[in-house]
Amino acid sequence: MQFSRSDRNGRLLIAGAAAAIAAVMVLVLIAGFRLATEIRASVAALQGTSVLQTYPAVISQQLTALRQRLQTLEYTGHVHRELTRTVRNFNLRLAAVERRNLDPAAIRHAESLWRHYAPQLAPVLAFSGEPYDDTDTGSSLSARGRKYYDQVRQAGIFAQTSAPVLHGALAAVSAALQARTSAAAARLRTLLLAGVLAVVLLALAAAYLQLSRARQQRAAREAQDQTRDILKTVREGFFLLDADYRIGAVWSQALTHLFGRSDFKGLAFEELLRDKVPADTLATAVKYIKLLWGERARENLMKSINPLGQLEVSVDNGRGGKESRFLQFDFHRVMGPKGVKHVLCAVGDITSSVLLARELQEAQENAHSQLDMMIGMLRADPLQVSAFLDSAAAGLKHVNTIMKEPARTDAEFRKKLAGLSRELHSIKGEAAALSLMSVAERVHRLEDMVAELTAKSELTGNDFLPVVLKLDELLAHLRGVREMTARLVSLKEGPAGAGTASLPQLRIGEAREPQAERPGRSCADLGALLEQLAGKLALDHGKRFALKLTGLTEVPAGYLETVKDCAIQMLRNAAVHGIEPCEARRAAAKPEIGEVCLQFRRLDPGYELVFQDDGAGLSPEALKEAAVRKNVLTAEEAAALDNRAALALIFRPGFSTRESVSMDAGRGTGMDLVARSVYGLGGKIGVSTNPGRFTRFKITLPAAGAAAAVA
Amino acid sequence: MLREEELKTFVDGTTRYFEVAAQQPATIGSPYLLEGDVTVHDYTGVISISGKREGVVYFTAPRAMLTVLLMKMQESDFSHENMRDLVGEVTNTISGNARKDFGHDFVISVPSVLTGEKLQIPHKAGMRSFVIPINWRSHSAKLVVSLT
Repeated sequence: MQFSRSDRNGRLLIAGAAAAIAAVMVLVLIAGFRLATEIRASVAALQGTSVLQTYPAVISQQLTALRQRLQTLEYTGHVHRELTRTVRNFNLRLAAVERRNLDPAAIRHAESLWRHYAPQLAPVLAFSGEPYDDTDTGSSLSARGRKYYDQVRQAGIFAQTSAPVLHGALAAVSAALQARTSAAAARLRTLLLAGVLAVVLLALAAAYLQLSRARQQRAAREAQDQTRDILKTVREGFFLLDADYRIGAVWSQALTHLFGRSDFKGLAFEELLRDKVPADTLATAVKYIKLLWGERARENLMKSINPLGQLEVSVDNGRGGKESRFLQFDFHRVMGPKGVKHVLCAVGDITSSVLLARELQEAQENAHSQLDMMIGMLRADPLQVSAFLDSAAAGLKHVNTIMKEPARTDAEFRKKLAGLSRELHSIKGEAAALSLMSVAERVHRLEDMVAELTAKSELTGNDFLPVVLKLDELLAHLRGVREMTARLVSLKEGPAGAGTASLPQLRIGEAREPQAERPGRSCADLGALLEQLAGKLALDHGKRFALKLTGLTEVPAGYLETVKDCAIQMLRNAAVHGIEPCEARRAAAKPEIGEVCLQFRRLDPGYELVFQDDGAGLSPEALKEAAVRKNVLTAEEAAALDNRAALALIFRPGFSTRESVSMDAGRGTGMDLVARSVYGLGGKIGVSTNPGRFTRFKITLPAAGAAAAVA
Repeated sequence: MLREEELKTFVDGTTRYFEVAAQQPATIGSPYLLEGDVTVHDYTGVISISGKREGVVYFTAPRAMLTVLLMKMQESDFSHENMRDLVGEVTNTISGNARKDFGHDFVISVPSVLTGEKLQIPHKAGMRSFVIPINWRSHSAKLVVSLT
């Protein structure tokens, strides 16, 4: 842009110089013409004056000749006519010189002399007829003739004295005209010289300007070449957007490679990204570009909200397929005198950086999870971990079985989701209880995926591809946990025990049934597991409570797994929803440290598990409100529920009073899992509560189920 | 770790064949992890993969499904050879799609077609196998992606 402005200035200067040359030439020609005209007039007047100078002498001679002819009585007509013609010519020429008005003073002097002279000649010239009388004795002057003679003589005498004076006056006119002509000629010469000089100077200036312009053009061409080279070589895509959000006429070559097209001129920014990014991202990007044109928008602030800082786009890979790339868009406003003139857009391909960052993050996460895993396993009993791994393998096998069930319709796909949620929630609960957070977090992410699928309007097999990949990743992680547990056991037992410490390898197809053979799981393990979970939950949620466990030794082996699952879920519920923070408990005049009791006892027949916390209790109204808020029930349906039915809402799959999902609550899966486990064994579950005082769950299990579960 | 895009490339290659050859797209069922040995159908097309990932990808379909597919393609030859050729074609499309998407990262073998239900597909240790049911009309085939 700067080059073209400079070029335009150069052109204007040269045009100005040419116009000045032309103007000078015109002025010189006009002035020269006027001077030449003046000289020509002066020369003509000079010629006239030169002729006039001879007239006084001629008139004098003609008067003398006329007088002599009258004396000798000769014919005078011819001389008289000559005199008359001479006087008339003199008058005419003098008038002509006067008209030119070249030197009025000198001419006026000559004219005044002539005015004295002319009256002397007037009677002579007025004479007509014959001056002679012819008689028989001969001819003689007649009376008129004598008078005529006297007039001729007097005029002759006057002429002899006046002729030199008049001649002198006319000579003076002639001299003045000569001087005037010479001066005009000198002026003309000077004018021509000055004109030529001015033209030469202007021509030199024009030549200098032309040379400068040529130099500037050369520099501009070089600069353009350099700009072209930069645009061809630079790895970022550069282009300018105009006020209509369209791409300008110049862009860097890299843009072609980045977007797999070359028709950028005039292309709308929206079109550039259409079909390459999701519709909502595109809409956000367009809004952002519009904001950039706002005069008040601050560039630094705008930069911080750039939605295209890292954009994943799908582009042609050159082999007829598509590939994903990560692009970084950077925007800078180009300011003009009237505000934002353009927006410069720089697009960089940051795919390798993003992938590297992901790999690094993955490596870091792996390192952290390994560390977490190590810490968790150091805290936990290896046999407990081994039992958990068996249980998790069985759970994941069930997950895979659910996945394997044939499905073609949305309903068939949707049917899988509740089962998947329950299995995963159960695994997560136990992993968290053992502080195996790397496992718990992975299961939590898998649960997130299932929750996302639940929210989708139409499900297909494609939606389950990421789930199966995540499931595989979880299994791989569990294999790593198992290997590490084996190493820890071998370290604890020393070289002698190394041979016996190896734990069975986990593979989904080879997972053993947890109930059938589970060497580590026992009532004592369950107690320790629940104590550990209680401590962790109290720490995580900033609560203080004591866990009292009674009768766990009474749990038959067949119910151990169910009791464990139920106890974990109810304990998490008590810690998250039930037990209040210390301040709230103090304000409610309750002991600062809450109490959570789990009591298992043998009945006759069957068994009973009572789980109670002295927390906030359940509010039927709050449960109904949550059900309406989450569209589980209509307001009318909720109003029609009695307290008992309202409390039963907590067992509904996917129902939770919490608005957000955390590691320990919010999915509405835990109590569903408890209820299904209990009902699955033919048991019953009851809930009673006193808001602000306690919540109690009473689970009864049949006697026959214990044996059946073992079998 | 196998990525979703990689898995999708093989799936899309398979469903595209049905869409182009039979003008009736196939859908996929619920994918799952392979436990033990895969149950193969009558005809199985296998491609071996090396390079960035190693392993095998195979498409296995029952005779009934292939017969209907041939009918839909206006074929009247339902011979064993023609069935083999058809499975070979499907597998070819899968490998072509993979070549197109992965370029030089993956070295993909020429497809081979096996018949019978008692096949031993080479399975390397550490390989993870994903089974993706391919549903077309009332029939179901399987795509197995078994890569390191």
